Amino acid sequence: MPVVETFEVEGHIVDSLILAKVLDLILEAGADYRMVAVDIGRTSVDPSRAVLEVTAEDDAAIGRLAEQLRVHGANPVGSDDAALAVAEQDGVLPAGFYSTTNLATEARIDGRWVAVANPEMDCGLVVDRGGQPPAEPTVRTVPMHRVRAGDEIVVGNDGVRVRAPEKRRGVSTFEFMDSEVSSEKPKALLVRNLADRMRAARATGGRTLAVCGPAVVHTGGAPEVARLIRSGWVQVLFAGNGFAAHDLECNALGTSLGVSVAEGSPIDGGHSNHLRVINEVRRHGSIAAAVEAGYIDGGVMFECVTGAVPFVLAGSIRDDGPLPDVVTDVVAAADRMRELVGDVAVALMLATTLHAIATGNILPAGVETYCVDINQAVVTKLADRGSHQAHGIVTDVGPFLRQLADELGA
Amino acid sequence: MTPLGWGRRYLMCPPTHFGVLYEINPWMHTEVAVDRDRARSQWEGLVSTLRAAGAEVVVVVPDESVPDMVFTANAGVVNLRGEGPPQFVPSHFRFPERQGETEIFAAWFAAQGFAVDRLRPELAHEGAGDALPFLDTLLSGYRFRSDQPAATELSRLTGAPVRSVELVDPRLYHVDITFCPLDDRRAMCAPMGWDAYGRRVVEALVPEPLWLTDEEALTFCANSVVVGSTVVMPVTPPRVGRQLEAWGFDVVDCDVGEFLKAGGGCRCLTLSLDVDLATATGPVT
Repeated sequence: MPVVETFEVEGHIVDSLILAKVLDLILEAGADYRMVAVDIGRTSVDPSRAVLEVTAEDDAAIGRLAEQLRVHGANPVGSDDAALAVAEQDGVLPAGFYSTTNLATEARIDGRWVAVANPEMDCGLVVDRGGQPPAEPTVRTVPMHRVRAGDEIVVGNDGVRVRAPEKRRGVSTFEFMDSEVSSEKPKALLVRNLADRMRAARATGGRTLAVCGPAVVHTGGAPEVARLIRSGWVQVLFAGNGFAAHDLECNALGTSLGVSVAEGSPIDGGHSNHLRVINEVRRHGSIAAAVEAGYIDGGVMFECVTGAVPFVLAGSIRDDGPLPDVVTDVVAAADRMRELVGDVAVALMLATTLHAIATGNILPAGVETYCVDINQAVVTKLADRGSHQAHGIVTDVGPFLRQLADELGA
Repeated sequence: MTPLGWGRRYLMCPPTHFGVLYEINPWMHTEVAVDRDRARSQWEGLVSTLRAAGAEVVVVVPDESVPDMVFTANAGVVNLRGEGPPQFVPSHFRFPERQGETEIFAAWFAAQGFAVDRLRPELAHEGAGDALPFLDTLLSGYRFRSDQPAATELSRLTGAPVRSVELVDPRLYHVDITFCPLDDRRAMCAPMGWDAYGRRVVEALVPEPLWLTDEEALTFCANSVVVGSTVVMPVTPPRVGRQLEAWGFDVVDCDVGEFLKAGGGCRCLTLSLDVDLATATGPVT
């Protein structure tokens, strides 16, 4: 596990080539550095100062390097421990709480940097001292409503550091594509690259999450998502009442929002089809019960139920019904989603704006996120809300999913 | 060519108690006996040579507990700093054997009306032995006897820019064995004593260096005292002597062989009391 330590070197380090030497020594030791701050003296009498974030392969390597650098006046910055305050009531963070980003984060506790277990933006950091001493302290993010009186919470910015996601070596299609969100991209190539990423994730035990909007069903993409679930390419599903209702409607009555998926033409009285299906599922008590009773015998939700693929259907104020599986308490829904993103490595945001943003909010920055939408603004919006890792693929989601499922041999 | 603005007034310490009583550099061998009478006469020879060259010599009373006190160059850094009381920054010695010198010299300089400004106690620095002025800049050596961060402290205290060079050969353990300013453009320079970065620092600092070969450097010829146009040398390699004379210097050999047994030459036996580190204001280069 790579170790990061901050060093500071001060004095006439430019004229004396001390800075150049220090940087060379870091590289020669097989470590890497990032200049955090450089303050060059204005005259030859003014001291200059450089702060370097040094990354070495392990504690021993950083220790050896620190010994070497000390001779030249570069010393580890005596970083303070993170300041802690005890939460006084449930659901309320102490004033001055450290507000998290979605980046990999470490907090210094008892003189040691401890990695935050589950990076998530807009949370607090709670320190768990563990059970019996000398158990190592652990640090995790905590959304405001989950704070409990007595929790030890990090306050202020001291003793907390974040690490920007590592840049991938070499220029791949996605790096090239990242220059802008544009519809003018070779789609087949993007699909192939995405398939490669999903294969790589699955090979290393990472899961792929699909976040689906109703348009996936409207555009005929639901059978492709079902294929991806059935063949193990998608292992977690987040959606809302609409997506699930139309997927079930499509299976039970062959329409999506009253439009025949096969013919593309509106069916007489079809506008109430989804309500009738929701009503029947409510009669069964749950989607799983409807599947078991044989009322639903295919589609995305069917594959989730039969394949034991976990899903969260989060409610909204606009929902019809809703389906009995919909979690109508949005705070509880977000908590359910948090429980499922643990080992997600790839996230597919498929034709959904609000759900993509909601999911982006709880994903660590390290999760490769692909936002597929016909509307360019969705991708931009996701990035604007802090999910800078999102790659945009501007295209019609239905054909895209078919290509992806074919590419993966689903 | 402008002669050095300093080097006409020296502090020296008679070798009453001098001897190689411990080993803190590769030249010192306790089994090699110092001929104290010879040492005394060599030291007196240096005093009269310096006086003959036009320098004034001031003497400090030796202390029996610190035999290396004879090497006054390591007492500290002197800075007349124009107006106001002159400044003295006493050394912090790396080796316990020499640490007793600090307070003796600090007391002496205080008694002479110097303001005594101190380095942070955890930093080692051995005074003019590891900090020689060239123009307005102090060239400071580090590694064997002085800590690199002490250079920053020295700059802060004196207001002079300090450039550090890493010393890499334990035989050339002080910068004053590797570097000897001659005037405002020239200096004797022993590149074998520095790492590649240090060499580049000196190249940038000294317009006309007299590069010493390794063999020349190991004679201690850079540990010379310059009084105006006179260079008082412990040993004069022929090529170096010719070059100095070609530049118009008078070269005077001054045998200090007994002191070389302890790893010190003419420069080590003297501390220039008239260094004025005028505040430099040039741009960073």
